[in-house]
Amino acid sequence: MNLESFWVVSWVNSIGFLSGLPEWCYAAISLLCIFFFVLIPSLVFIVFFDRKLSADLQARVGPNRAGPAGVLQPIADLLKLLQKDTRSPWGWIESLWISIHSMVLYSSLAVIPLGSLALLLDTEMSAFLPFWSALVLALGTILLGLSQGTVAGWFGGIRVAAQALSGAFPALISLLCTGVRAGGFRWTVLAGSQGFAPWSWTVASNPFQAIAFLVFVMSGLVLLGIAPLEGGQSMSDIHGGVATHLSGRRLVLFRFGRFYGFFCWSVISVVLFLGAWNLPLQFRELLVRAELYPLIGFFELVCLLMKTFCLMMVIVWIARVNPRSRVDQITDFTWKVLSPFSLSALVGAGIWAGWRAFL
Amino acid sequence: MTIVLKKMNSIDESVENNLTQWEIGPYHSSLPAPIKLSLLMDGEVVSHCSLETGFLHRGLEKVFELHSWRSSIAYVDHLDPEAAVFGELALCLGVEEIAGLAVPSRAQHIRIILAELTRVSSHLIYMVRMARVVGSETIIHYLLRDRERILDLFELLAGARFSLNFLRFGGVCADVTEGFIERVLEVCEVIRIRLKEYNDLFTFNHGFLKRTAFVAPLTSSLIRECGVTGPNARASGFSFDVRKDSPYTGYDQVDFDVPLGRGEGGSLGDVHDRFLIRLREISQSMEILKQLSETVPSGEYINSEVEKGYAIPSGEAYVRVESSRGLLGCHVVSDGSSQPARIQFRTPTVAHLMVIPKLVTGIRIEDLPVLLASLDLGIAEADR
Repeated sequence: MNLESFWVVSWVNSIGFLSGLPEWCYAAISLLCIFFFVLIPSLVFIVFFDRKLSADLQARVGPNRAGPAGVLQPIADLLKLLQKDTRSPWGWIESLWISIHSMVLYSSLAVIPLGSLALLLDTEMSAFLPFWSALVLALGTILLGLSQGTVAGWFGGIRVAAQALSGAFPALISLLCTGVRAGGFRWTVLAGSQGFAPWSWTVASNPFQAIAFLVFVMSGLVLLGIAPLEGGQSMSDIHGGVATHLSGRRLVLFRFGRFYGFFCWSVISVVLFLGAWNLPLQFRELLVRAELYPLIGFFELVCLLMKTFCLMMVIVWIARVNPRSRVDQITDFTWKVLSPFSLSALVGAGIWAGWRAFL
Repeated sequence: MTIVLKKMNSIDESVENNLTQWEIGPYHSSLPAPIKLSLLMDGEVVSHCSLETGFLHRGLEKVFELHSWRSSIAYVDHLDPEAAVFGELALCLGVEEIAGLAVPSRAQHIRIILAELTRVSSHLIYMVRMARVVGSETIIHYLLRDRERILDLFELLAGARFSLNFLRFGGVCADVTEGFIERVLEVCEVIRIRLKEYNDLFTFNHGFLKRTAFVAPLTSSLIRECGVTGPNARASGFSFDVRKDSPYTGYDQVDFDVPLGRGEGGSLGDVHDRFLIRLREISQSMEILKQLSETVPSGEYINSEVEKGYAIPSGEAYVRVESSRGLLGCHVVSDGSSQPARIQFRTPTVAHLMVIPKLVTGIRIEDLPVLLASLDLGIAEADR
C-alpha cells in the first residue's frame, strides 16, 4: 500500500500521541475515511437524484417533504429502515452472507481508484481486483437466495449465478482492451494514458475501444444485477427472488451492497474509458505551482465522482423507460452478443495498438 | 407423460420425476388477482398447472335477492369494480326488457358515453398491469395519469369516481352537467395524442416485444372450447362483438370498427396481440365518443313512467352487453314483488380462468405473470 502518499497518514501523525502507529491502523483509518466521506455521501446523493430523475420522467413529484426539495429523504429512509427490528434472529447462513458482503465491501474499498487522494493500492493487477469482489458479491447474493428454502429463493439464487457467470466473461475481455492501449493494469497507468479532454479518453481513441466500453458497462450491469438488466434479482414471478424475506436493517445491507457494486462499476468504467480523474493540464499546473497538493487530490476526486454520477444517471434513465428483460434473454444476450463483440474488440484493439507502434 | 403428471399428487412422486412443485397464491406479486396456482415444473418450464378460485366470493347474486330492485343497481357496481357501468347497463337492459320500458334517446347516448369511457379506463388499467409485470415503471404513471382524467369525468357526472350508481331503469339518474360533453371531447383528443406516445415508449419497444411476442397464443379451438369472448378472442382473429352482432342501447347508430388481431409482433393471438387489440379498441372507443358527443339529442334523460315505487312486472329476460373483458350476460327474473327473484350473470372472466391451466402448460415460469396479466382477469366478477 502506498500509505506514504496518503494524506491520512500525515494527518494522523500530526496528532502528537498517535504518531508511529502500525501500518494496518493507518489502512483501517483510511478505509473508514473512504467509507464515511466518499461512499455514504455518494449513496445519499445518487439515491436522491435517482428518485428525483425518475419522478421527473414519470410525471410525478418525487420526494419533497424531508428537507428543502426532499434532499434529506434518503437519510430519512435509511434511519427508518435501520430502526426496524428484524423478524427473526440471524441464522448461520445469513451470518455467512453478511460476512461475505462486509468482506467484499472492505476489501475492495482499498482497490477502487478514487484519484490520487484516495488511491490506497496500486499494483500491476489493480484493475482485476474489483472483479473478484463483484463475483464474491454475486456469490453472497446466490447464498442469500438459496438459504431462503423457498422455490422462489432457489430460482432467484440460480438465476443470479447464471447471470453473474455470463456477465463476467465479456467484462473481463473488454477490460483487457484498455490494458492493450495503456500498456498495463495499474490504475495510474490506465489514468495516465488519458487526458481531461473527451477526445483523449480511451473510449474515443478508436472504434474498438468504444465497443469495449459499451460491452464493459452492459456486462457489469448483468454481472451485478443492476436495472434494466436485473432479471435474475427481481422478476415478478419469483416475487423479488433472493431478497424477498429481507426487511429493515438486512434490507439496508442488501441494498447498500447492490448500490456499492453499481457505484464501483461506474467508477471503474470512468477510470478505464472516460478519462479517469484527469484535470485540465493548466489548472493542475496552477495548483502545483501554488503547492496545493491536497487540493489537487480533492479536485481529482470531484472530477471522477461527477463523471461517475453522470454515467449512473444515464443508466438509471435507460432503466426507467425500458421494460425488464427476462433472465434467459439476458444470458443469451451476454453470451451471444456481448461476448463476440468483446472478443472482436480485443482483437481490433490489439491490431490497432500494433499498427500504432509501427508508425 | 401428461397422464403421469396429472396423476401425480405427492411430493415423493414429483421428486421421482425430478419436477418442482410450487404453489403460488392466493396473494402473490405475480398474480393480478387472488387465485391459487399449483404448478409442477420441469426446470423452469411449467409442465402441469391446476387452478383454484373463489377467494373473492361475496355472495353478490344472493345479495340482489335480499334487497329492493332499486338497490340492486348499487350492488351490481361491485360485480366488477374496474368497469362498474357494464354491470349496471346489463341489469337495466334486463329490467327494461321485462317491464317493456322505453329509454329516451338522450339517456341512451349518455349510457354509451359512460360505457365507452369505462371501457377506455378499464383498458388503461389493463395496460398498467401489463407494464407492471414486465417492469416498465414509467408507462404505468403515464397511463394512470390519463385514467385520472376519465375518473374526473365520472366524478363530474355522477359524483363518484368508481362505483357510479348512475344508471336507472328507463334512463339515467341525472342529466349531464354543463360542459361535460366538451370535456369528453377534450379527453378524447388528449388520449388520442397519448396513444402515439404509448406506442413509441412501450408497445413496439424491443424489450416489451421480446417479453410478449410468441408467448402463450390463444388458439381458436381453445376459444370455442372455453367460451372466451371479448378482446382476448378478437386478438386471435375471432370476430365477435356484441355491440356489432346484436346491438343494444343504440350502438346500431354508431359507426365503428371491430379491430382483430393480426399477429404483427409474433404469432396470432399471443400476448402482444392481446395488448395491441386493447390499444386499438381504445382508439375505436374514442371514435364512438366523438360521434356521440357531437350528436347528443335534447329531451328527457329518464322515462317519465318511472317514479318512486314503480313496480317491475313479473317476467324473465336475458340480455347481453359487451363489457371491456368480453360478453357479459345478465339473466333477470322478476316475480312482480319489490325484490328481484333472481339476478344471475354470465361473466367473461370465468372463461378466461378456464383457459389458464391449458395456456400455462409449456411456458417458462418467467412468462407466467405476463400471461396472467394479458388475459385481463376481473376476478371480482368471476368469484362474485
